[in-house]
Amino acid sequence: MSAAESATAIQRNQVDLLDFIDWSGVECLNQSSSHSLSNALKQGYREDEGLNLESDADEQLLIYIPFTRVIKLHSIVVTGSEEDGPKMVKLFTNREHMGFSNVSDFPPSDTAILSPDNLKGKPLVLKYVKFQNVRSLTIFIEDNQSGSEITKVQKIALYGSTVETTDMKGLKKIEDHNH
Amino acid sequence: MVLEATMICIDNSEWMRNGDYAPSRFQAQADAVNLICGAKTQSNPENTVGVLTMAGKGVRVLVTPTSDLGKILACMHGLEIGGEMNLAAGIQVAQLALKHRQNKKQQQRIIVFAGSPVMHDKKALEVIGKKLKKNSVALDIVNFGEDDEGKTEKLEALLAAVNNNDTSHIVHVPAGPNALSDVLISTPIFTGDGEGGSGFAASAAAAAAGGVSGFEFGVDPNLDPELALALRVSMEEERARQEAAAKKAAEEASEQDATMTEHASEGPSGADNKKNEIPDDDNTLLQQALAMSVDEPASTQDLQDTEMSDAAAEDPDLALALQLSVQESTKDSSSEADMSKLLADQSFVSSILASLPGVDPNDPSVKEMLASMQNQSESQQKQDEDKAPEKKEEKEEKEEK
Repeated sequence: MSAAESATAIQRNQVDLLDFIDWSGVECLNQSSSHSLSNALKQGYREDEGLNLESDADEQLLIYIPFTRVIKLHSIVVTGSEEDGPKMVKLFTNREHMGFSNVSDFPPSDTAILSPDNLKGKPLVLKYVKFQNVRSLTIFIEDNQSGSEITKVQKIALYGSTVETTDMKGLKKIEDHNH
Repeated sequence: MVLEATMICIDNSEWMRNGDYAPSRFQAQADAVNLICGAKTQSNPENTVGVLTMAGKGVRVLVTPTSDLGKILACMHGLEIGGEMNLAAGIQVAQLALKHRQNKKQQQRIIVFAGSPVMHDKKALEVIGKKLKKNSVALDIVNFGEDDEGKTEKLEALLAAVNNNDTSHIVHVPAGPNALSDVLISTPIFTGDGEGGSGFAASAAAAAAGGVSGFEFGVDPNLDPELALALRVSMEEERARQEAAAKKAAEEASEQDATMTEHASEGPSGADNKKNEIPDDDNTLLQQALAMSVDEPASTQDLQDTEMSDAAAEDPDLALALQLSVQESTKDSSSEADMSKLLADQSFVSSILASLPGVDPNDPSVKEMLASMQNQSESQQKQDEDKAPEKKEEKEEKEEK
Protein backbone atom coordinates (compact mmCIF):
# COMPACT_ATOMS: atom_id res chain seq x y z
CA MET A 1 0.00 0.00 0.00
CA SER A 2 1.36 3.40 -0.89
CA ALA A 3 1.63 6.09 1.66
CA ALA A 4 -1.19 8.07 0.09
CA GLU A 5 -3.57 5.13 0.09
CA SER A 6 -2.93 4.31 3.69
CA ALA A 7 -3.33 7.94 4.60
CA THR A 8 -6.79 8.07 3.07
CA ALA A 9 -7.70 4.81 4.70
CA ILE A 10 -6.96 6.48 8.00
CA GLN A 11 -9.03 9.48 7.14
CA ARG A 12 -11.93 7.50 5.80
CA ASN A 13 -13.20 5.50 8.71
CA GLN A 14 -10.30 4.90 10.99
CA VAL A 15 -9.87 7.07 14.00
CA ASP A 16 -6.99 7.65 16.26
CA LEU A 17 -7.72 5.30 19.11
CA LEU A 18 -6.15 7.63 21.64
CA ASP A 19 -9.56 8.39 23.12
CA PHE A 20 -10.30 4.77 23.80
CA ILE A 21 -7.17 3.91 25.70
CA ASP A 22 -7.82 2.97 29.33
CA TRP A 23 -5.02 5.01 30.87
CA SER A 24 -5.37 3.49 34.31
CA GLY A 25 -4.25 0.10 33.01
CA VAL A 26 -1.47 1.17 30.68
CA GLU A 27 1.84 -0.44 31.61
CA CYS A 28 5.29 -0.53 30.17
CA LEU A 29 8.01 -2.91 31.31
CA ASN A 30 11.66 -1.91 31.15
CA GLN A 31 11.00 1.73 30.50
CA SER A 32 13.37 4.32 31.84
CA SER A 33 11.73 6.32 34.59
CA SER A 34 12.61 9.66 33.06
CA HIS A 35 11.49 8.68 29.58
CA SER A 36 8.20 6.94 30.05
CA LEU A 37 5.42 5.65 27.88
CA SER A 38 3.42 8.86 28.08
CA ASN A 39 6.06 10.56 26.01
CA ALA A 40 5.21 8.28 23.12
CA LEU A 41 1.48 7.85 23.53
CA LYS A 42 -0.03 11.04 24.83
CA GLN A 43 -1.28 13.83 22.65
CA GLY A 44 1.23 16.62 22.55
CA TYR A 45 4.01 14.63 24.10
CA ARG A 46 4.30 12.30 21.16
CA GLU A 47 4.64 15.15 18.71
CA ASP A 48 7.48 16.64 20.71
CA GLU A 49 10.69 15.35 19.25
CA GLY A 50 12.60 15.93 22.44
CA LEU A 51 10.40 13.53 24.41
CA ASN A 52 10.94 9.84 23.78
CA LEU A 53 10.10 6.55 25.37
CA GLU A 54 13.39 4.91 26.28
CA SER A 55 14.23 1.44 27.46
CA ASP A 56 16.18 0.91 30.64
CA ALA A 57 18.07 -2.28 31.47
CA ASP A 58 18.30 -3.49 27.90
CA GLU A 59 16.87 -2.75 24.49
CA GLN A 60 13.53 -4.57 24.79
CA LEU A 61 10.25 -2.97 25.70
CA LEU A 62 6.93 -4.48 26.58
CA ILE A 63 3.96 -2.16 26.32
CA TYR A 64 0.48 -3.12 27.49
CA ILE A 65 -2.46 -0.97 26.39
CA PRO A 66 -6.00 -1.83 27.46
CA PHE A 67 -8.97 -0.14 25.82
CA THR A 68 -12.21 1.16 27.21
CA ARG A 69 -14.22 -0.59 24.53
CA VAL A 70 -13.72 -3.29 22.00
CA ILE A 71 -11.91 -2.01 18.96
CA LYS A 72 -10.73 -3.15 15.59
CA LEU A 73 -7.16 -2.21 14.93
CA HIS A 74 -6.30 -1.21 11.40
CA SER A 75 -2.82 0.19 11.52
CA ILE A 76 -0.21 1.58 13.83
CA VAL A 77 2.41 4.27 13.50
CA VAL A 78 5.70 3.86 15.34
CA THR A 79 8.25 6.58 14.84
CA GLY A 80 11.76 6.87 16.13
CA SER A 81 15.26 7.79 15.08
CA GLU A 82 17.11 5.80 12.45
CA GLU A 83 19.66 4.34 14.83
CA ASP A 84 17.81 3.78 18.06
CA GLY A 85 14.30 3.34 16.78
CA PRO A 86 12.61 -0.03 17.13
CA LYS A 87 13.13 -2.73 14.54
CA MET A 88 11.29 -5.93 15.31
CA VAL A 89 7.85 -5.36 16.71
CA LYS A 90 5.42 -8.06 17.75
CA LEU A 91 1.81 -7.46 18.59
CA PHE A 92 -0.37 -9.54 20.88
CA THR A 93 -4.07 -9.06 21.42
CA ASN A 94 -6.10 -9.70 24.53
CA ARG A 95 -3.28 -11.08 26.64
CA GLU A 96 -3.23 -9.54 30.08
CA HIS A 97 -0.05 -8.84 32.01
CA MET A 98 2.52 -10.43 29.80
CA GLY A 99 6.12 -10.59 30.88
CA PHE A 100 9.34 -10.84 28.93
CA SER A 101 9.51 -14.52 29.80
CA ASN A 102 6.27 -15.46 28.10
CA VAL A 103 6.53 -13.47 24.89
CA SER A 104 7.70 -16.59 23.17
CA ASP A 105 5.01 -18.81 24.68
CA PHE A 106 2.44 -18.08 22.02
CA PRO A 107 2.59 -16.67 18.52
CA PRO A 108 2.01 -12.96 18.08
CA SER A 109 -1.06 -11.70 16.25
CA ASP A 110 1.26 -9.84 13.95
CA THR A 111 4.94 -9.23 13.51
CA ALA A 112 6.55 -6.34 11.74
CA ILE A 113 10.02 -5.16 10.98
CA LEU A 114 10.08 -1.42 10.85
CA SER A 115 11.73 0.19 7.88
CA PRO A 116 13.18 3.70 7.92
CA ASP A 117 9.97 4.85 6.21
CA ASN A 118 7.91 3.50 9.03
CA LEU A 119 10.15 5.24 11.48
CA LYS A 120 9.39 8.51 9.76
CA GLY A 121 5.66 8.05 10.11
CA LYS A 122 4.43 5.67 7.49
CA PRO A 123 1.71 3.57 9.10
CA LEU A 124 2.12 -0.14 9.49
CA VAL A 125 -0.98 -1.79 8.18
CA LEU A 126 -1.85 -4.88 10.12
CA LYS A 127 -3.54 -8.15 9.33
CA TYR A 128 -6.98 -6.79 9.87
CA VAL A 129 -8.62 -10.16 10.42
CA LYS A 130 -6.54 -10.79 13.49
CA PHE A 131 -7.46 -7.49 15.07
CA GLN A 132 -11.22 -7.56 14.88
CA ASN A 133 -11.99 -7.94 18.52
CA VAL A 134 -9.33 -6.23 20.53
CA ARG A 135 -9.76 -5.43 24.21
CA SER A 136 -6.09 -4.92 24.94
CA LEU A 137 -2.94 -4.68 22.91
CA THR A 138 0.56 -5.71 23.90
CA ILE A 139 3.43 -4.33 21.88
CA PHE A 140 6.71 -6.15 22.25
CA ILE A 141 9.68 -4.25 20.87
CA GLU A 142 12.34 -6.86 20.54
CA ASP A 143 15.32 -4.89 19.29
CA ASN A 144 16.31 -1.65 17.66
CA GLN A 145 17.76 -0.61 14.34
CA SER A 146 21.38 -0.41 15.33
CA GLY A 147 21.46 -3.01 18.08
CA SER A 148 22.33 -0.48 20.76
CA GLU A 149 21.60 -0.86 24.44
CA ILE A 150 18.75 1.61 24.52
CA THR A 151 15.74 1.69 22.25
CA LYS A 152 14.11 5.06 21.74
CA VAL A 153 10.55 5.46 20.52
CA GLN A 154 9.29 8.87 19.62
CA LYS A 155 5.65 8.17 18.90
CA ILE A 156 3.15 5.35 18.97
CA ALA A 157 -0.24 5.97 17.37
CA LEU A 158 -3.00 3.43 16.88
CA TYR A 159 -5.59 3.70 14.17
CA GLY A 160 -8.74 1.68 13.93
CA SER A 161 -12.39 1.75 14.71
CA THR A 162 -14.62 0.80 17.58
CA VAL A 163 -16.98 -2.11 17.31
CA GLU A 164 -20.21 -0.67 18.68
CA THR A 165 -20.11 2.88 17.47
CA THR A 166 -18.54 2.54 14.06
CA ASP A 167 -21.80 2.82 12.20
CA MET A 168 -22.87 6.01 13.93
CA LYS A 169 -19.62 7.71 13.10
CA GLY A 170 -19.84 6.59 9.55
CA LEU A 171 -23.32 8.09 9.21
CA LYS A 172 -22.23 11.38 10.65
CA LYS A 173 -19.37 11.69 8.28
CA ILE A 174 -21.50 11.07 5.23
CA GLU A 175 -23.91 13.77 6.30
CA ASP A 176 -21.03 16.21 6.71
CA HIS A 177 -19.86 15.53 3.19
CA ASN A 178 -23.27 16.29 1.77
CA HIS A 179 -23.45 19.59 3.55
CA MET B 1 -0.20 1.44 51.57
CA VAL B 2 1.30 0.22 48.33
CA LEU B 3 -0.33 -2.92 47.02
CA GLU B 4 2.52 -5.38 47.04
CA ALA B 5 3.35 -9.04 46.73
CA THR B 6 6.50 -9.92 48.68
CA MET B 7 8.69 -13.00 48.67
CA ILE B 8 11.00 -13.39 51.64
CA CYS B 9 14.15 -15.45 51.09
CA ILE B 10 15.42 -16.98 54.32
CA ASP B 11 18.98 -18.10 54.87
CA ASN B 12 18.89 -21.38 56.77
CA SER B 13 22.46 -22.41 56.12
CA GLU B 14 24.97 -23.75 58.67
CA TRP B 15 26.23 -20.24 59.31
CA MET B 16 22.97 -19.45 61.05
CA ARG B 17 23.89 -21.50 64.11
CA ASN B 18 26.17 -18.73 65.29
CA GLY B 19 25.10 -16.89 68.42
CA ASP B 20 26.49 -13.44 67.68
CA TYR B 21 22.92 -12.22 67.24
CA ALA B 22 20.90 -13.13 70.33
CA PRO B 23 19.75 -15.88 70.75
CA SER B 24 21.06 -17.28 67.47
CA ARG B 25 21.30 -15.82 63.99
CA PHE B 26 18.52 -18.06 62.79
CA GLN B 27 16.16 -17.06 65.60
CA ALA B 28 16.89 -13.37 65.11
CA GLN B 29 16.17 -13.80 61.43
CA ALA B 30 12.90 -15.63 62.15
CA ASP B 31 11.77 -12.82 64.45
CA ALA B 32 12.56 -10.26 61.80
CA VAL B 33 10.62 -12.27 59.21
CA ASN B 34 7.59 -12.47 61.50
CA LEU B 35 7.66 -8.72 62.03
CA ILE B 36 7.98 -8.00 58.34
CA CYS B 37 5.05 -10.27 57.50
CA GLY B 38 2.94 -8.53 60.09
CA ALA B 39 3.90 -5.08 58.86
CA LYS B 40 3.22 -5.89 55.22
CA THR B 41 -0.18 -7.49 55.80
CA GLN B 42 -1.18 -4.66 58.09
CA SER B 43 -0.22 -1.83 55.80
CA ASN B 44 -2.57 -3.10 53.12
CA PRO B 45 -4.99 -5.98 53.65
CA GLU B 46 -4.60 -7.10 50.06
CA ASN B 47 -0.85 -7.46 50.35
CA THR B 48 0.51 -10.97 50.04
CA VAL B 49 3.68 -12.44 51.46
CA GLY B 50 5.44 -15.68 50.62
CA VAL B 51 8.46 -17.39 52.14
CA LEU B 52 11.19 -19.58 50.74
CA THR B 53 14.41 -21.04 52.12
CA MET B 54 17.64 -20.76 50.19
CA ALA B 55 19.82 -23.38 51.86
CA GLY B 56 19.19 -26.91 53.01
CA LYS B 57 18.81 -29.46 50.26
CA GLY B 58 17.94 -26.73 47.80
CA VAL B 59 15.73 -23.73 47.32
CA ARG B 60 12.31 -24.59 48.69
CA VAL B 61 9.19 -22.46 48.65
CA LEU B 62 7.50 -22.81 52.03
CA VAL B 63 4.43 -20.77 51.23
CA THR B 64 3.40 -18.99 48.05
CA PRO B 65 2.31 -15.37 48.37
CA THR B 66 -0.75 -15.25 50.61
CA SER B 67 -2.41 -12.67 52.81
CA ASP B 68 -3.06 -15.24 55.53
CA LEU B 69 -0.62 -14.27 58.29
CA GLY B 70 -1.31 -17.42 60.27
CA LYS B 71 -0.25 -19.61 57.40
CA ILE B 72 2.97 -17.67 56.97
CA LEU B 73 3.87 -17.83 60.66
CA ALA B 74 3.02 -21.51 60.82
CA CYS B 75 5.38 -22.42 58.03
CA MET B 76 8.25 -20.81 59.94
CA HIS B 77 8.06 -23.59 62.51
CA GLY B 78 10.23 -26.64 62.24
CA LEU B 79 12.75 -25.14 59.85
CA GLU B 80 16.06 -26.94 59.85
CA ILE B 81 19.46 -25.40 59.58
CA GLY B 82 21.96 -26.87 57.17
CA GLY B 83 23.63 -26.64 53.82
CA GLU B 84 24.80 -23.60 51.97
CA MET B 85 22.84 -20.62 50.77
CA ASN B 86 22.27 -20.35 47.03
CA LEU B 87 21.52 -16.67 46.56
CA ALA B 88 21.10 -16.63 42.79
CA ALA B 89 18.73 -19.58 42.69
CA GLY B 90 16.81 -18.19 45.64
CA ILE B 91 16.21 -14.87 43.95
CA GLN B 92 15.24 -16.49 40.68
CA VAL B 93 12.74 -18.81 42.32
CA ALA B 94 11.33 -15.88 44.24
CA GLN B 95 10.90 -13.99 40.98
CA LEU B 96 9.10 -16.95 39.49
CA ALA B 97 6.80 -17.22 42.49
CA LEU B 98 5.96 -13.55 42.17
CA LYS B 99 5.29 -13.89 38.46
CA HIS B 100 2.51 -16.34 39.24
CA ARG B 101 0.89 -14.18 41.87
CA GLN B 102 -2.87 -14.14 41.74
CA ASN B 103 -3.39 -10.41 41.74
CA LYS B 104 -1.40 -9.01 38.86
CA LYS B 105 -1.93 -5.48 40.06
CA GLN B 106 0.43 -6.01 42.98
CA GLN B 107 3.94 -4.58 42.85
CA GLN B 108 6.60 -7.25 43.10
CA ARG B 109 9.19 -7.22 45.88
CA ILE B 110 11.80 -9.68 47.11
CA ILE B 111 13.38 -9.42 50.57
CA VAL B 112 16.61 -11.38 50.95
CA PHE B 113 18.31 -12.21 54.24
CA ALA B 114 21.94 -12.71 53.33
CA GLY B 115 23.64 -14.14 56.41
CA SER B 116 26.26 -16.43 54.96
CA PRO B 117 29.03 -15.71 52.47
CA VAL B 118 28.01 -15.12 48.87
CA MET B 119 29.46 -17.70 46.48
CA HIS B 120 28.48 -16.08 43.21
CA ASP B 121 30.61 -13.51 41.50
CA LYS B 122 29.67 -9.90 41.03
CA LYS B 123 28.92 -10.24 37.32
CA ALA B 124 26.40 -13.01 37.82
CA LEU B 125 24.65 -10.99 40.53
CA GLU B 126 24.51 -7.93 38.32
CA VAL B 127 22.88 -9.93 35.54
CA ILE B 128 20.26 -11.16 38.00
CA GLY B 129 19.75 -7.62 39.20
CA LYS B 130 19.20 -6.32 35.69
CA LYS B 131 16.66 -9.04 35.03
CA LEU B 132 14.76 -8.06 38.16
CA LYS B 133 14.79 -4.43 37.13
CA LYS B 134 13.56 -5.27 33.66
CA ASN B 135 10.57 -7.07 35.15
CA SER B 136 10.04 -4.24 37.65
CA VAL B 137 10.75 -6.32 40.74
CA ALA B 138 12.11 -4.41 43.74
CA LEU B 139 14.72 -6.01 45.99
CA ASP B 140 15.52 -5.44 49.66
CA ILE B 141 18.71 -6.98 51.01
CA VAL B 142 19.42 -7.54 54.71
CA ASN B 143 23.16 -8.02 55.05
CA PHE B 144 23.92 -9.61 58.42
CA GLY B 145 25.89 -12.46 59.88
CA GLU B 146 29.10 -13.37 58.08
CA ASP B 147 31.07 -10.51 56.71
CA ASP B 148 33.73 -11.92 54.45
CA GLU B 149 35.62 -9.77 52.01
CA GLY B 150 33.68 -8.85 48.96
CA LYS B 151 30.27 -9.82 50.30
CA THR B 152 29.25 -6.25 50.98
CA GLU B 153 30.64 -5.15 47.64
CA LYS B 154 28.77 -7.87 45.77
CA LEU B 155 25.50 -7.09 47.49
CA GLU B 156 25.90 -3.38 46.82
CA ALA B 157 26.54 -4.16 43.15
CA LEU B 158 23.40 -6.31 43.07
CA LEU B 159 21.40 -3.49 44.60
CA ALA B 160 22.75 -0.96 42.11
CA ALA B 161 21.72 -3.21 39.22
CA VAL B 162 18.18 -3.66 40.55
CA ASN B 163 17.51 -0.24 41.94
CA ASN B 164 14.96 1.76 40.04
CA ASN B 165 14.07 5.10 41.59
CA ASP B 166 15.06 4.06 45.11
CA THR B 167 12.51 1.31 45.40
CA SER B 168 15.18 -1.18 46.45
CA HIS B 169 17.24 -0.97 49.64
CA ILE B 170 20.12 -2.64 51.41
CA VAL B 171 20.58 -2.71 55.17
CA HIS B 172 23.79 -3.78 56.89
CA VAL B 173 23.17 -5.10 60.39
CA PRO B 174 26.34 -5.68 62.43
CA ALA B 175 26.26 -8.05 65.40
CA GLY B 176 25.54 -6.28 68.64
CA PRO B 177 23.19 -5.86 71.59
CA ASN B 178 20.31 -4.65 69.45
CA ALA B 179 18.06 -7.32 68.06
CA LEU B 180 17.98 -7.72 64.29
CA SER B 181 14.27 -6.89 64.22
CA ASP B 182 14.75 -3.67 66.16
CA VAL B 183 17.37 -2.44 63.76
CA LEU B 184 15.21 -3.29 60.77
CA ILE B 185 12.15 -1.51 62.10
CA SER B 186 13.62 1.90 61.46
CA THR B 187 14.79 1.05 57.95
CA PRO B 188 12.91 1.65 54.70
CA ILE B 189 12.36 -2.11 54.50
CA PHE B 190 9.71 -1.72 57.14
CA THR B 191 8.57 1.80 56.55
CA GLY B 192 8.22 1.24 52.86
CA ASP B 193 9.98 3.98 50.91
CA GLY B 194 9.35 6.83 53.33
CA GLU B 195 5.59 6.61 53.35
CA GLY B 196 5.67 7.06 57.09
CA GLY B 197 5.05 3.43 57.76
CA SER B 198 2.08 1.54 59.02
CA GLY B 199 0.85 1.96 62.56
CA PHE B 200 2.43 -1.38 63.38
CA ALA B 201 5.87 -0.31 62.32
CA ALA B 202 5.56 3.12 63.91
CA SER B 203 4.48 1.82 67.29
CA ALA B 204 7.14 -0.88 67.22
CA ALA B 205 9.68 1.80 66.38
CA ALA B 206 8.57 3.88 69.34
CA ALA B 207 8.95 0.88 71.58
CA ALA B 208 12.40 0.16 70.24
CA ALA B 209 13.52 3.76 70.59
CA GLY B 210 12.17 4.13 74.12
CA GLY B 211 13.48 0.83 75.49
CA VAL B 212 17.11 0.36 76.48
CA SER B 213 17.55 -3.10 75.12
CA GLY B 214 14.94 -5.73 74.47
CA PHE B 215 11.48 -4.45 75.25
CA GLU B 216 10.13 -1.41 77.01
CA PHE B 217 8.28 -2.02 80.28
CA GLY B 218 9.51 -5.59 80.25
CA VAL B 219 6.55 -6.57 78.12
CA ASP B 220 7.07 -8.13 74.73
CA PRO B 221 4.86 -6.27 72.26
CA ASN B 222 4.55 -9.48 70.30
CA LEU B 223 3.39 -11.53 73.23
CA ASP B 224 1.01 -9.02 74.72
CA PRO B 225 0.40 -6.14 72.36
CA GLU B 226 -2.57 -4.72 74.24
CA LEU B 227 -0.74 -4.49 77.53
CA ALA B 228 2.31 -3.02 75.87
CA LEU B 229 0.13 -0.50 74.10
CA ALA B 230 -1.71 0.45 77.30
CA LEU B 231 1.56 0.93 79.15
CA ARG B 232 2.99 2.96 76.34
CA VAL B 233 -0.10 5.18 76.12
CA SER B 234 -0.10 5.93 79.85
CA MET B 235 3.61 6.67 79.69
CA GLU B 236 3.00 9.09 76.85
CA GLU B 237 0.24 10.81 78.81
CA GLU B 238 2.54 11.14 81.78
CA ARG B 239 5.24 12.60 79.62
CA ALA B 240 2.78 15.02 78.10
CA ARG B 241 1.81 16.31 81.53
CA GLN B 242 5.44 16.67 82.53
CA GLU B 243 6.14 18.45 79.31
CA ALA B 244 3.27 20.85 79.91
CA ALA B 245 4.73 21.79 83.28
CA ALA B 246 8.23 22.21 81.98
CA LYS B 247 6.95 23.97 78.92
CA LYS B 248 5.17 26.69 80.85
CA ALA B 249 8.43 27.83 82.34
CA ALA B 250 10.24 27.56 79.07
CA GLU B 251 7.46 28.93 76.83
CA GLU B 252 9.07 32.23 76.06
CA ALA B 253 12.30 30.52 75.32
CA SER B 254 10.74 28.17 72.84
CA GLU B 255 12.05 30.46 70.09
CA GLN B 256 15.53 29.29 70.98
CA ASP B 257 16.04 25.67 70.00
CA ALA B 258 18.89 25.18 72.45
CA THR B 259 16.75 25.76 75.45
CA MET B 260 14.05 23.55 74.06
CA THR B 261 16.36 20.63 73.81
CA GLU B 262 17.69 21.29 77.29
CA HIS B 263 14.26 21.08 78.79
CA ALA B 264 13.34 18.22 76.59
CA SER B 265 16.21 16.30 78.05
CA GLU B 266 14.43 16.38 81.40
CA GLY B 267 11.88 14.00 80.06
CA PRO B 268 12.68 10.71 78.28
CA SER B 269 14.29 10.89 74.90
CA GLY B 270 11.07 9.86 73.18
CA ALA B 271 9.53 13.16 74.18
CA ASP B 272 12.11 14.99 72.05
CA ASN B 273 10.18 14.37 68.89
CA LYS B 274 7.00 15.70 70.44
CA LYS B 275 8.65 18.86 71.69
CA ASN B 276 10.13 19.79 68.38
CA GLU B 277 6.83 19.13 66.68
CA ILE B 278 4.77 21.34 68.97
CA PRO B 279 5.09 24.89 67.61
CA ASP B 280 4.42 28.17 69.42
CA ASP B 281 0.87 28.15 68.08
CA ASP B 282 0.05 25.52 70.67
CA ASN B 283 0.30 28.15 73.38
CA THR B 284 -3.46 28.50 73.15
CA LEU B 285 -3.88 24.76 73.59
CA LEU B 286 -1.61 24.96 76.59
CA GLN B 287 -3.73 27.69 78.07
CA GLN B 288 -6.77 25.53 77.56
CA ALA B 289 -5.00 22.70 79.30
CA LEU B 290 -4.30 25.04 82.17
CA ALA B 291 -7.94 26.07 82.28
CA MET B 292 -8.90 22.42 82.41
CA SER B 293 -6.55 21.75 85.24
CA VAL B 294 -8.05 24.76 86.95
CA ASP B 295 -11.42 22.98 86.92
CA GLU B 296 -10.09 19.76 88.37
CA PRO B 297 -7.61 20.44 91.10
CA ALA B 298 -8.17 17.26 93.03
CA SER B 299 -7.39 14.82 90.28
CA THR B 300 -4.40 16.70 88.98
CA GLN B 301 -2.95 17.28 92.40
CA ASP B 302 -0.92 14.10 92.45
CA LEU B 303 0.19 14.52 88.86
CA GLN B 304 1.32 18.04 89.55
CA ASP B 305 3.33 16.72 92.40
CA THR B 306 5.13 14.20 90.23
CA GLU B 307 5.71 16.61 87.38
CA MET B 308 6.95 19.20 89.80
CA SER B 309 9.42 16.86 91.38
CA ASP B 310 10.78 15.94 87.99
CA ALA B 311 11.09 19.52 86.83
CA ALA B 312 12.53 20.55 90.16
CA ALA B 313 15.47 18.24 89.71
CA GLU B 314 16.99 20.68 87.24
CA ASP B 315 16.31 24.04 88.82
CA PRO B 316 16.47 24.70 92.58
CA ASP B 317 14.66 28.04 92.24
CA LEU B 318 11.87 26.34 90.47
CA ALA B 319 11.81 23.65 93.13
CA LEU B 320 11.37 26.20 95.88
CA ALA B 321 8.67 28.04 94.06
CA LEU B 322 6.85 24.86 93.26
CA GLN B 323 6.95 23.73 96.83
CA LEU B 324 5.53 27.02 97.97
CA SER B 325 2.78 26.81 95.46
CA VAL B 326 1.98 23.24 96.46
CA GLN B 327 1.59 24.35 100.06
CA GLU B 328 -0.64 27.18 99.01
CA SER B 329 -2.83 25.01 96.91
CA THR B 330 -3.32 22.43 99.64
CA LYS B 331 -4.71 25.19 101.86
CA ASP B 332 -6.86 26.59 99.15
CA SER B 333 -9.91 24.57 98.22
CA SER B 334 -11.22 26.67 95.40
CA SER B 335 -9.80 25.96 92.03
CA GLU B 336 -6.73 27.73 90.79
CA ALA B 337 -3.84 26.31 88.90
CA ASP B 338 -0.61 26.96 90.75
CA MET B 339 1.20 27.24 87.52
CA SER B 340 -0.99 30.03 86.26
CA LYS B 341 -0.47 31.87 89.53
CA LEU B 342 3.24 31.49 89.21
CA LEU B 343 3.15 32.55 85.64
CA ALA B 344 1.14 35.59 86.58
CA ASP B 345 3.99 36.55 88.84
CA GLN B 346 6.28 38.28 86.43
CA SER B 347 9.23 38.45 88.77
CA PHE B 348 9.12 34.71 89.24
CA VAL B 349 8.98 34.06 85.54
CA SER B 350 11.85 36.41 84.77
CA SER B 351 13.95 34.71 87.41
CA ILE B 352 13.22 31.42 85.67
CA LEU B 353 14.16 32.88 82.35
CA ALA B 354 17.38 34.34 83.72
CA SER B 355 18.44 30.91 84.88
CA LEU B 356 17.96 29.50 81.38
CA PRO B 357 21.05 29.79 79.21
CA GLY B 358 20.67 31.74 76.05
CA VAL B 359 17.62 33.70 77.13
CA ASP B 360 17.83 37.38 77.88
CA PRO B 361 14.82 38.50 79.89
CA ASN B 362 15.34 42.02 78.64
CA ASP B 363 14.93 40.85 75.09
CA PRO B 364 11.92 42.75 73.74
CA SER B 365 10.37 39.67 72.17
CA VAL B 366 10.60 37.86 75.47
CA LYS B 367 9.00 40.77 77.23
CA GLU B 368 6.21 40.80 74.71
CA MET B 369 5.53 37.15 75.31
CA LEU B 370 5.45 37.73 79.03
CA ALA B 371 2.98 40.53 78.64
CA SER B 372 0.71 38.45 76.45
CA MET B 373 1.02 35.56 78.90
CA GLN B 374 -0.12 37.81 81.68
CA ASN B 375 -3.05 39.10 79.73
CA GLN B 376 -4.12 35.59 78.93
CA SER B 377 -3.90 34.41 82.48
CA GLU B 378 -5.70 37.52 83.62
CA SER B 379 -8.59 36.89 81.27
CA GLN B 380 -8.73 33.32 82.48
CA GLN B 381 -9.05 34.48 86.02
CA LYS B 382 -11.82 36.85 85.14
CA GLN B 383 -13.72 34.04 83.49
CA ASP B 384 -13.59 31.80 86.52
CA GLU B 385 -16.42 32.64 88.86
CA ASP B 386 -15.02 30.65 91.72
CA LYS B 387 -12.28 33.12 92.31
CA ALA B 388 -12.45 34.54 95.79
CA PRO B 389 -12.16 38.33 95.59
CA GLU B 390 -9.27 38.25 98.07
CA LYS B 391 -7.27 35.99 95.84
CA LYS B 392 -7.73 38.36 92.98
CA GLU B 393 -6.49 41.29 94.95
CA GLU B 394 -3.49 39.31 96.08
CA LYS B 395 -2.66 38.50 92.53
CA GLU B 396 -3.08 42.01 91.30
CA GLU B 397 -0.72 43.12 93.98
CA LYS B 398 1.88 40.69 92.83
CA GLU B 399 1.48 41.70 89.21
CA GLU B 400 1.90 45.32 89.98
CA LYS B 401 5.28 44.48 91.43
